Amino acid sequence: MSWEYSEKTTQLFMDAVHGKPGTHLGEIEDPDGFGEHGSIACGDAMRFTFRVEKDYEDPLKDVIVEARYMTFGCTSAIAASEALCRLIEEGRYSPIEALKITNESIVDYLEGLPEQKIHCSVMGAEALEAAVFNWAQKRGVDLEELGIDLVSEDEEEGRIVCKCFTLSEPYLRRKIQELNLRTIAEVTHATKAGGACMSCHQAPGGIQDLLDEVWGRKPATVKQVAEEPQPREPEPTNGSGLSSYQLMKKVEQCIEDYIRPQLQSDGGDIEIVDIKDSLVYCKLSGACAGCAHAGQTMKLMVERTLKDLVDERIRVIGV
Amino acid sequence: MTVIYADNNATTAIDPQVTEAMLPYLQDQYFNPSSMYEVARPVANAIEKARESVAHVLGGIEANQILFTSGATESNNAAIFGTAKANRSRNHIITTAVEHPAVLEVCREMERDGYEVTFLSVDRSGRLNMQEFVQALQPDTLMVTIMHGNNETGVIFPVDELARITKETDPAIIFHTDATQSVGKIPLDLTGAFRYVDMLSLSGHKLHGPKGVGALYVKRGTQWRPFIIGGHQENGRRGGTYNVASIVGLGSACDLAREHRDDEKRIAALRDRLEAGILDRVPQVEVNGQDAPRLPNTLNVACHYVEGEGILYQLSALGICASSGSACTSGSLDPSHVLKTMELPFTAIHGSIRFSLSRYTTDAEVDAIIDAFPKVIANLRKMSPYWDTKTNQPR
Repeated sequence: MSWEYSEKTTQLFMDAVHGKPGTHLGEIEDPDGFGEHGSIACGDAMRFTFRVEKDYEDPLKDVIVEARYMTFGCTSAIAASEALCRLIEEGRYSPIEALKITNESIVDYLEGLPEQKIHCSVMGAEALEAAVFNWAQKRGVDLEELGIDLVSEDEEEGRIVCKCFTLSEPYLRRKIQELNLRTIAEVTHATKAGGACMSCHQAPGGIQDLLDEVWGRKPATVKQVAEEPQPREPEPTNGSGLSSYQLMKKVEQCIEDYIRPQLQSDGGDIEIVDIKDSLVYCKLSGACAGCAHAGQTMKLMVERTLKDLVDERIRVIGV
Repeated sequence: MTVIYADNNATTAIDPQVTEAMLPYLQDQYFNPSSMYEVARPVANAIEKARESVAHVLGGIEANQILFTSGATESNNAAIFGTAKANRSRNHIITTAVEHPAVLEVCREMERDGYEVTFLSVDRSGRLNMQEFVQALQPDTLMVTIMHGNNETGVIFPVDELARITKETDPAIIFHTDATQSVGKIPLDLTGAFRYVDMLSLSGHKLHGPKGVGALYVKRGTQWRPFIIGGHQENGRRGGTYNVASIVGLGSACDLAREHRDDEKRIAALRDRLEAGILDRVPQVEVNGQDAPRLPNTLNVACHYVEGEGILYQLSALGICASSGSACTSGSLDPSHVLKTMELPFTAIHGSIRFSLSRYTTDAEVDAIIDAFPKVIANLRKMSPYWDTKTNQPR
């Protein structure tokens, strides 16, 4: 699958990789806003920092003058990080105004993103929100009073819906509404939820259920009834009247008492890998392992001895 | 820009001699080999000659056990579905969790159809646990389908041993192997060590032949029913007009693979040099499948704290073609199932890159990769929140 990135996306990525002037790779020391999103296990993660020109009378008039990122992720994750920083610096926004930058603004700036890469732009928007939240805490701004419903990710605990990417129910519910996600595929593209093992798609309380709760239920679907597991047949006994277990014990005893001592006297050894009724799987070790006659030892010595002393039907298979 | 092609496990460059062998059958030798008239006879002969060539590369088996297919995916589908159809009293399949999707997905489909499937796991180096394999064999085991060389890591499974143990346990269990990545790269003798194998899949375009053609070996006497029916071709075992030019191409590619048998050592030396060069110059890198026997052409390296797509993208800008097991390149959001089964640490699973060489790979190309790769990784680590560039170590 080749890349379907816009020229803008590839340009931003290559500029960033080569550290061209005007790119925003890095981390601000003692930042005024600090936010992170994603994790290395999920395949992308971003650390976002900004610095403001402080307004000493009214923190709401702080202006973001510098934004930097560190990003682990694919081409589009890095381009989206770069885009976010440019949008913010070009806008000379206050942190509150910066919240206008959504994942859609980032996608527009990148002149489009492939559908399955939308989550990269969401990561940028999430990291920005987290950083603004952090700034508000530091500057004593009460976001709730301003009517801004920003939830720090740490507070967004709740039942985990997507276990692969550790995404919680409150988070997904919020994203489904904010980003107007209508299908499981859209949820996956935007948040990654359900993108790996997919078991949460139709699980009770899974993504489909969340979508139904948010947008109302679709007409009832036919539920599949799980098949009853077939009962196993009882273990057959073999002709000698010994149960499999008794036979196994006798084989082990015989190897212990007769076979192993013989092999050991030649500097070798034997290991029982498995016993299935009259089939005995063995591995020769020590001097026997590399021996050209290992095959013959198995047949003529190990198998013959077991046939003679335990049961004529025994067959030995070398592993 | 010159292209450095190091993605030969994905596909290979077609050998010019293969193209030349095919051309007449795309031009005036257009006759249907199944036709009765005299002018069609050379075309029919060309098919049988190609069959001999395939039989020869597999150790000189009798050629009528080779069926031509549209590729290894069809061969694998035919092997598994056809075996199940012919042995309805058995209900259990053994495979591995690291198969190519052309086997893995078919086995999952069998599972949905009610079959019990054992997906054997592998260790950190990609090796099977032989005890786990032996324990998986059951009285109702229908078949074992286990790949020879892994397409992602190059790890080689001991298919000769696995087949012997299977057939010694119960001759009615059918043993199939997907040898797509190993045919033409390492010795594989169906009359020698691999004689216990009942069925084998191979593909033309992985050994410098054309795409869209492959073969399935079905040992005489194997309980198997055809998968694609609708014609008397291949004695009714695979319907459909012969893809003449491609079949001739596959035959020619097999002949050339035998001629180039000794290149294996040279390719392995190039791979080893590439491996050493990368390990030497890039910190926090490990070779996937390090402690296992591997295909001579394959190197899969895991680079901690970076993401594979960004690596590929930069390599591509330098004209270097390689592959990655990262989630971002897989089309899903999940990283490679092979590397996940190997339990690669999560810091590295997204940063795995596969280089796969061929007999066309040159020393200069390997040098160019060794030169470019450390910079590409350093560029991305510089950006990674998990990497400290000052100390050149993870944070």
